[in-house]
Amino acid sequence: MQIRFAGIGGQGVVLAGVILGEAAAIEGLNVVQTQDYSSASRGGHSIADVIISKEPIYDVMVTEADVLVALAQLGYDTVKNSLKGDGLLIVETDLVKPERPHIGAPFTRLAEESTGLALTVNMVVLGYLVAKTGVVRRESVEEAIKRRVPKGTEEVNLKAFRAGYEEGSK
Amino acid sequence: MRYPFPTGKKDFIQGNEAIARAAILAGCRFYAGYPITPASEIFEAMALYMPLVDGVSIQMEDEIGSIAAIIGASWAGAKAMTATSGPGFSLMQENLGYAVMTETPIVVVNMMRGGPSTGQPTLPAQGDIMQSIWGTHGDHMLIVLSPSTVQEAFDFTIRAFNLAEKYRTPVVLLGDAEIAHMRERVYIPHPDDVKVIGRKLPESEEEHKLPFGDPHGDGIPPMPIFGRGYRTYVTGLTHDEVGHPKTVEAEIHERLIKRIYGKILGHKEDIISYEEFELEDADVAIVSTGIVSRSAIRAVKMLREKGIEAGLLKLNTVWPFDFDMMEELAERVRKIYVPEMNLGQLYHLVKEGADGKAEVELIPKIGGEVHTPMEIVEKVVG
Repeated sequence: MQIRFAGIGGQGVVLAGVILGEAAAIEGLNVVQTQDYSSASRGGHSIADVIISKEPIYDVMVTEADVLVALAQLGYDTVKNSLKGDGLLIVETDLVKPERPHIGAPFTRLAEESTGLALTVNMVVLGYLVAKTGVVRRESVEEAIKRRVPKGTEEVNLKAFRAGYEEGSK
Repeated sequence: MRYPFPTGKKDFIQGNEAIARAAILAGCRFYAGYPITPASEIFEAMALYMPLVDGVSIQMEDEIGSIAAIIGASWAGAKAMTATSGPGFSLMQENLGYAVMTETPIVVVNMMRGGPSTGQPTLPAQGDIMQSIWGTHGDHMLIVLSPSTVQEAFDFTIRAFNLAEKYRTPVVLLGDAEIAHMRERVYIPHPDDVKVIGRKLPESEEEHKLPFGDPHGDGIPPMPIFGRGYRTYVTGLTHDEVGHPKTVEAEIHERLIKRIYGKILGHKEDIISYEEFELEDADVAIVSTGIVSRSAIRAVKMLREKGIEAGLLKLNTVWPFDFDMMEELAERVRKIYVPEMNLGQLYHLVKEGADGKAEVELIPKIGGEVHTPMEIVEKVVG
């Protein structure tokens, strides 16, 4: 399964990819996580790839995404061609206007509503993705969040993740 | 000894982090560096870990100072490492030659990015293959290893230290920006399960007094530790077995340089490591090293599905190069393809080795992306 997150710097796209990768690793799956970003620390495109498989993985980046998660138009436009014809497109509906079938929600607003922090949008969309695809178990992601987010922010990130998971379970 | 990271289990980490942890498990206790993309995380990890294992990690004024510091640390008895990328690796060339000439065990990590000059800081490349072998001036010999996975980045770092110590030589670990930042599951062994080799120390008065001698006939002089025993003279000038400069005597220069060549080329079987995939009955062979090998393995599988008998020779050791093995391969196959992320470097070594016994074709790619398997397949299918 090839999953690609696309956004702009500052949205936490890479951390979302790392946590998804860690969750897969916790489940004993093979996983490769890579990223591509511009030199700008904020505002440039930011792409995180996660490839998960029971078999050895030789790919170094997503070649044909099964799932593309787009959090910003710039990120989406940069990599939209990498999504398979029948792939799943998940978008931040306030910020991305795709020209093809998709699902999604206003993830940034959901983040603000659940935690008061727009920057938890990455955890919200991760929750949504896990609910929609079941690529890894919810518990594995929660464990990965505890391991990977800055100390003291575990609860707020878990809260955002659960809000996204709930939205995706609707 | 308690280690500041979990051992005896798998972890999900970046290549740079794997290199730092491996260095510590291999016994590295001195790190000097200067930050540079895409190698900075090695320094960050070393800055975090070294104080916890009674080691030292220092930021130097630049890369020239960094390699100078690890050479000094090595003579003081420490296993030492620095890490950089293209621009910093260029600055290190002078002292890399000094480490060759003074037979100083050090590990220099070069995570390749697009060049020349500052080039493409965040993107992977393989443009420094020739520089890692021949970047410093003069006749010289060293060892270059190149990993293709995060696990190999870990394993080859341990091997780099062991080879550096065993052969009293600088070893270059040649990674790239992709391996540097890629996260994969890596098995971090329990420290008791890590094979660690230390340098030969002088055991007699004579060996102490001849830090550049060859008492065992293997070309590898026992290395004294500064401050323990006799005064030792260490110089980049051509020197005799005592270490004193002898700059005009042809036979002394020839004996020294040939010994430095010989201690590595005479142990090629121990040093050179490679892996074969589906090569036994292959009609066409792909020869690759580093990150591109991943796409090459996939390409071999895709070609086999198309009925083309393809195989892969993946070089874990880039230098020394086994020209004889390459000639034998060329005698067995019709054609050899060399995919690499530059405009032709490994290709020239392969072609020299093949010696006309098989056609050799370069599959070059620059700009910052690893070849896709399909790009290799399309070249082979034609």
